[in-house]
Amino acid sequence: MKKANWFLLVLLLALSMFLAACSGGDESGGETEGDAEGGDGEETEESSGMDSEQVLNLYEPSEIPTMDASMATDAVAFQWLGSTMDGLYRVGEDGETEEGIAIDHEISDDSLTWTFNLRDDATWSNGAPVTAHDFVYAWQRAVNPDTGSEYGPYMMGGVIENAQAIADGDAPVEELGVEAADDYTLEVTLEKPTPYFESLTTFGTFLPLNEEFVEEQGEDYALEAESLIANGPFVITEWDASGWTLEKNEDYWDADQVNLEQINVDVVKETSSAVNLYQTGEVDRVALDAEFVDEYRSAEDFTTIEEPTLFYLKMNQENEILSNENARKAIQRVIDRDSLVNTLLNNGSLASAGNMPQNFVFHPETEEDFREVNGDLFETNVEEAQELWATAKEELDIEEAEIGYLGGDTELSKNMDAYIKDQLEQLEGLTVNVQAVPFQERLDRDTEMDYDLQNAGWGPDYVDPNTFLNLWVTDGGNNKTGYSSEEYDSMIEEANNELAQEPVERFETLLEAEKLLIEEDAVLAPLYQRSRAYLWQPYLKDVTFNQAGPDFTYKYAYIEGKE
Amino acid sequence: MGRYITQRLVYMVITMFLIATFTFFLMKFLPGTPLSSADRLSEEQQAIVLAKYGLDEPIPVQYFNYMVNLLQGDMGVSFQFDNREVTTIILDRIGPSLQLGFQAMVIGTILGMLLGLVSAIYHNGVLDYGSTFTAVIGQSIPSFVFAGILQYFVGVKLGWFPVALWGTWQHTVLPTIALAIFPLAIAARFMRTEMLEVMGSDYITTARAKGVNKFGVVFKHGVRNALIPLITVLGPLAIGLMTGTLVIENIFAVPGIGEQFVKSINTNDYPIIMGTTLFFAIFFILIVLIIDLLYGVIDPRIRLAEGE
Repeated sequence: MKKANWFLLVLLLALSMFLAACSGGDESGGETEGDAEGGDGEETEESSGMDSEQVLNLYEPSEIPTMDASMATDAVAFQWLGSTMDGLYRVGEDGETEEGIAIDHEISDDSLTWTFNLRDDATWSNGAPVTAHDFVYAWQRAVNPDTGSEYGPYMMGGVIENAQAIADGDAPVEELGVEAADDYTLEVTLEKPTPYFESLTTFGTFLPLNEEFVEEQGEDYALEAESLIANGPFVITEWDASGWTLEKNEDYWDADQVNLEQINVDVVKETSSAVNLYQTGEVDRVALDAEFVDEYRSAEDFTTIEEPTLFYLKMNQENEILSNENARKAIQRVIDRDSLVNTLLNNGSLASAGNMPQNFVFHPETEEDFREVNGDLFETNVEEAQELWATAKEELDIEEAEIGYLGGDTELSKNMDAYIKDQLEQLEGLTVNVQAVPFQERLDRDTEMDYDLQNAGWGPDYVDPNTFLNLWVTDGGNNKTGYSSEEYDSMIEEANNELAQEPVERFETLLEAEKLLIEEDAVLAPLYQRSRAYLWQPYLKDVTFNQAGPDFTYKYAYIEGKE
Repeated sequence: MGRYITQRLVYMVITMFLIATFTFFLMKFLPGTPLSSADRLSEEQQAIVLAKYGLDEPIPVQYFNYMVNLLQGDMGVSFQFDNREVTTIILDRIGPSLQLGFQAMVIGTILGMLLGLVSAIYHNGVLDYGSTFTAVIGQSIPSFVFAGILQYFVGVKLGWFPVALWGTWQHTVLPTIALAIFPLAIAARFMRTEMLEVMGSDYITTARAKGVNKFGVVFKHGVRNALIPLITVLGPLAIGLMTGTLVIENIFAVPGIGEQFVKSINTNDYPIIMGTTLFFAIFFILIVLIIDLLYGVIDPRIRLAEGE
């Protein structure tokens, strides 16, 4: 023991000195609110050179909280629901939808009745056919207050007829506007015209459920691999606290298109560990935190993916200073967002000067990007900001101002908020007091509007401009800035009602709404659109990134060139 | 002895009751709700969902309900893992934590004691300085640094053991070593100090004078006496290790209980907070009881209650 131990000790000491300097916390930064995904990854032409072993190895930073589609609320749950279940439609490329259980649909003239024609060759993994009744059962279950679902009322309330009343306990669940005309025809009645309803049907909460199986499992439904049922490309065959395994569903209606035989997912919470697992070939892809980006930036397998998730400063208009439009405009213009994304975030994130992500929604005719059409709605300009600020101070009759700033408590948030504070304090006489609080507390204080400035974010629930713009209508549940504009409200209202079947006019109205929101009324100070950096094995092909719903589609993925 | 244990068990029930009560009211001070998408729901809708879980009741009523259920052995269901029983969640995850903690304790303590012994026997020699140095390093460098070094050099570079994840015994090697460093350091230091003290006392000199050889004295008299303070220190340390360590479990992707406790607090998962706290408390109280009983076994001078 003596000699060997000695040598080891010295070695360990030397190494620890060396590594103590480079080992740090791995808190992944920038919490968003909800699911966030998007961009575009490896795209390769289908070719004949597929490997004989089609096994994909992945990790997730947390366990699957639930596989019950009615109860799911987070990205991990929606990801694996999306891989094992088909809804009416599936998320396709570029935010389009593709065939799932539904083949096509008709919309009535008043835009209120949607009739979906379902395929008759889809089955559940227990052999039962997938029918319209499965949708009726699932949707009723999602809004039933006894289920305790959060996303059921959130996604369906105000969209499907009577959903809100049922969720509030004011109507029986049978009155939900969804009916099976026959086994393979589903009729949905909407509360009001909803132009993005097609995109909504791809979302996890709208997945069908096999009534017989769910009722048979009762309280145990979806708690373990044995109490799960699938109708999608893969089935979960093993599932515990350390991870889960999916296997190809041979009975899937589109099984011919599915190449992967198996997907193994391990739960790995530390990015540094995931990177090490990637290097030893145990996982095929790893999402990098900011501190790893520089180290791997030049690696061949480094790639970044743009997500349609926006971050911005919310400005509480109940605060006297922030109720002043010029003050808000000064705040918008004084922050150098380019340095923020290039130096601080350093992962391909984009500076944002609007309230709509890039590559998210496109003009129905010209196919121009919403973001491109409206462009930057303001420019960073410190001099202009100073002038606006001086005017604001005059209007408010003050010399100096002190405002609070509510930020997150992760390492990344703290750095970012310190930077933004610095930027804001370029405005003469302005003092910014940053408060770093945990996510939950920030949400509480948002609800109570107990903040002045707040660093907040939003990821889309469906692919439509409405998911971002609808937030800011008067008394909107997530508005909480005190912003209230009749003009803005009527634009959003019009886009979602009269113009529901006029895609071009609707799109143009929403463009105007964004201008009003950011350019004229300066409700928010946009910061950036998030990107995520990955190390991605080149042999993993045809995995697509989705704008909403599950982050990735593995249905068409395959392994080529690993062997 | 029997009466003593009964008495301790009664105290234990009272302690548990107090812990449950304090924890329950303290956790209600946490900001936020257990809803995972509170940011997306209107206040009215949040209220409806909360009512489903009885969280709309006044806190004393919630407390009463919880305690009644607890007495019937029902710890409720988790919010993070919808509908999953708290007991299932804890039992599923405690295994790996216990295993790692136990392995680390055993290996760390035994190696540490040996190191301490060597130090004491070769007092002020090269070996003494060497092991003291080890002890200081082990105690002052955080275990996650060792974990990172082990993972990178032994796992990635040398490829001797799996980098992370859970499954075979090989997967337990690196996390066990990383966890064992601290108890090793503590054991070595205490062993050395106590041995030096014991070895200087009269009865050792007597034993030596009677012709017992050096190593005989060390093992028969010295070690036994040095164990008492060691157990006092290592007992609580064992509890800490066996109830899971957030950092080591995260680094080696061990599906243990350590992180669950922290996460339940961050997500306001009340039933899990209560469940893990009570579980840890029971564990703690039991270990302390065992330690107290062990004192008597090791040192006849310490006798518990009756029979004196």
